[in-house]
Amino acid sequence: MSTQVHANLTASQVEQISEDLGEPEWLLETRTEALEALDDLDMPDVIRTPGRTWTNLDALDYESLVDPLDYAQDKDRVDAEGVEVLSWSEALDEHEDLVKEHFGTVVDPQRDYLTALSTALFSAGTVVYVPEGVDAEDVKIRTTMNSQSLFNYTLVVAEESSSVTILERQQTGEDVEGERYYSGVVEAVAGENAYVQYGALQNLSEETYNFSAKRGHADTYATVNWIEGNIGSRLTKTSVETRLLGDSSESQILGAFFGHEDQHFDIASRVWHEAEHTVADLVTRGVLDDEARSVYEGVQDVGREAWDTSSYQRENTLMLSDESEADASPKLIINNHDTEASHSATVGQVDAEDMFYMTSRGVNPEAAKNMLVEGFFVPVLEEVQVDELREDLDQLIYERLRE
Amino acid sequence: MSSDQDHLKETDTEARFEFKKEEKAAFETEKGLTEETVRVISEDKDEPEWMLERRLRALEQFQEMPMPEGWPGAPDLSEVDVGDIVPYIRPDIETRGGADSWEDLPEEIQDTFDKLGIPEAEKNALSGVGAQYESEIVYQNMQERWEEKGVIFCDMDKAVQEHEDLVKEHFMTKCVPPSDNKFAALHGAVWSGGSFVYVPEDTTVEMPVQAYFRMNSEGMGQFEHTLIIAEDNSEVHYIEGCSAPKYSAFNLHSGGVEVFVGENAHVQYSTVQNWSKNTYNLNTKRAIVEADGTMEWVSGSMGSKATMLYPATILKGPGATDNHITIAFAGEGQDIDTGAKVYHNAPDTKSTIESKSISKDGGRTNYRGLVHISDGAEDSSTSVECDALMFDNESTSDTMPYMEIQESKVDVAHEATVGKIGDEDVFYLQSRGLDDDDAKQMIVAGFIEPITEELPIEYAVELNRLIELEMEGSLG
Repeated sequence: MSTQVHANLTASQVEQISEDLGEPEWLLETRTEALEALDDLDMPDVIRTPGRTWTNLDALDYESLVDPLDYAQDKDRVDAEGVEVLSWSEALDEHEDLVKEHFGTVVDPQRDYLTALSTALFSAGTVVYVPEGVDAEDVKIRTTMNSQSLFNYTLVVAEESSSVTILERQQTGEDVEGERYYSGVVEAVAGENAYVQYGALQNLSEETYNFSAKRGHADTYATVNWIEGNIGSRLTKTSVETRLLGDSSESQILGAFFGHEDQHFDIASRVWHEAEHTVADLVTRGVLDDEARSVYEGVQDVGREAWDTSSYQRENTLMLSDESEADASPKLIINNHDTEASHSATVGQVDAEDMFYMTSRGVNPEAAKNMLVEGFFVPVLEEVQVDELREDLDQLIYERLRE
Repeated sequence: MSSDQDHLKETDTEARFEFKKEEKAAFETEKGLTEETVRVISEDKDEPEWMLERRLRALEQFQEMPMPEGWPGAPDLSEVDVGDIVPYIRPDIETRGGADSWEDLPEEIQDTFDKLGIPEAEKNALSGVGAQYESEIVYQNMQERWEEKGVIFCDMDKAVQEHEDLVKEHFMTKCVPPSDNKFAALHGAVWSGGSFVYVPEDTTVEMPVQAYFRMNSEGMGQFEHTLIIAEDNSEVHYIEGCSAPKYSAFNLHSGGVEVFVGENAHVQYSTVQNWSKNTYNLNTKRAIVEADGTMEWVSGSMGSKATMLYPATILKGPGATDNHITIAFAGEGQDIDTGAKVYHNAPDTKSTIESKSISKDGGRTNYRGLVHISDGAEDSSTSVECDALMFDNESTSDTMPYMEIQESKVDVAHEATVGKIGDEDVFYLQSRGLDDDDAKQMIVAGFIEPITEELPIEYAVELNRLIELEMEGSLG
């Protein structure tokens, strides 16, 4: 456990953030409680095997990374017809009840040290409110981080029979000397028969440490789909999760990452089947170059009452460099026998036969490899409904291959 | 094997072991394991000084190490208080190191092994047999023709005396050091009995050798040590069987197995474990494989209250191969947490892991496995396949594989499926005139066939019979 941050964090700083955002008393209380809990909270879970810790979060010097009162940033929110995309202050003005009803109900504000830190310090918030029956496409939330550290929070509430597709992207703007820290918490609530696709594209500078927790609740007949694209950052620790709480609810969690140099991605996809006739599909594809390292954990948890469950998981990693490392742990936890569940994971190089086919057609080896790597991501890309996300992810992969 | 437990209980009450009676108080007066306990064991065995030193060092490590807790889904070991365990019971037999004729054994012990069918199996299918009762090997015999070729198959205590150099070099040094885990350390401190197998170069032992381990006393711990050394170009198949009658207090089995597979050698290690359902089965098994050698682990885990067993293979030489075949069957109150560990430390190494598990009546199975491919182990491949069958909604089936891949020129694949018994399959068989129970038994037998076909026919039949017994009366 780490207490580095606590040393230079005070309750008055938290009060000031809350006051700047014009928050009601209950929110300040939630923040203060999270601050006080820091002492007793552990770092987020990481995988350990005999003699090895897959991601070492304790080694980070948070004290030098966090400056609670500097949260310079650009926010660009694009809404769509019928849907409200609100800044934190706006949301509290117009829909305080809605925020109060859902805030902290999906992601426990004190689930671990880094989440509690985010709860205490978040300075940027967005609420996407999709009223009953509204179909909305292409909501966009673009965050450019201009400060040393930034704590972000997003709440999505999709009411009964509504539908929304959202793109969230994070990047770093103005240069800041030294290392940076970005933290983001996303909560998504999908009401009965609602549909949410939430895509995130993370392209932070490679001096940035990135922590993210995204979780959704799916009610009866609801769908919560996630797309998690990771290109930037020095180290990323991210969890994307869905609880299938209503009968016949569904979730798809797609992930794509491309690491190079000494980047480290610790990525988790988790789903809990807690009702009947639920379906989950977890697909992650990643490429590693140079000394980059990936850690993947997938969890399919089928509860005692989750009759007639279907749950699938696939994870594939391509290693372009001999210095890279790919660690993976796809887990199945099955408590109901009326389940069809499977998972698979592979690690390897670009397929030699595919390469041979391409080069025998006159494509030079470099171009052939690039085409095969781009093709490798297609199963994830073709599921992305927000054009900007698909095109930008595709472009970033294209650029990284040609660096 | 121990299915006919009522008979066996009769023999229990008859069985009286002098050592137990005399020493019991001495062990119990000390809370937990003490240096004194370890010294008494070593002295009773008349061991050389270096072995006593190793035991005492292991004891120190045991006392310092934490319990294997805090893993996701680790079985509950809170009941396991080593202070309550009788670690060493020497049966009252005249021949130390094992009689070579069943007739020389006390009637009770002979009776026990007769009921387990060991002498019968020896006649038909085995090159050699060792039988351990409580803490000591009571019977040990090998066909003469293997002795002539220089093959050694004897009990571990005897090996310490008679093959001291070999044992001193290999015993809990480079394969399973006591520091590996808390129960390996405990094992290092109080180990007793077990088998020593030595196969010289260019020698193939055509029929399997077998050791059978039997715990008869309530509240005892069995800590047998098995050391197998297969020199270059040799081949051997070792089978172990385990059982105990059920008591209300818990028993502890914490065996240690070390296998050295020489260049181009081939070792198969098969286990059919049917410990009683009050036994905690916490073993450490590991093999080191040299160039072009092959290690095969075949494990059937049917018994025990909780099992934590992950046979490990270190593929040390280029071209080495590892095959794991494991089957776990967890019924009511059982937590079978088992799997495999493979370290690819050289190029062109290959591993396959095939795991089948069945859970029913609230039992839990977990496949927990680790595949590690080190940087430089190029052109290595690994394939892991886990299939789980669940009978009912009270049971749990978990799969927790870990893969650590530090080399790019590799082929790594992991696959797992979990499902219930197919209604259609049952319907098909029923429509052919089988009743529900028979249909399900047949499906299960088919499900585990990849395992049973690796075993000699007697054992395959036995395994199937155990599964039938497990399934009886709880279906339909």
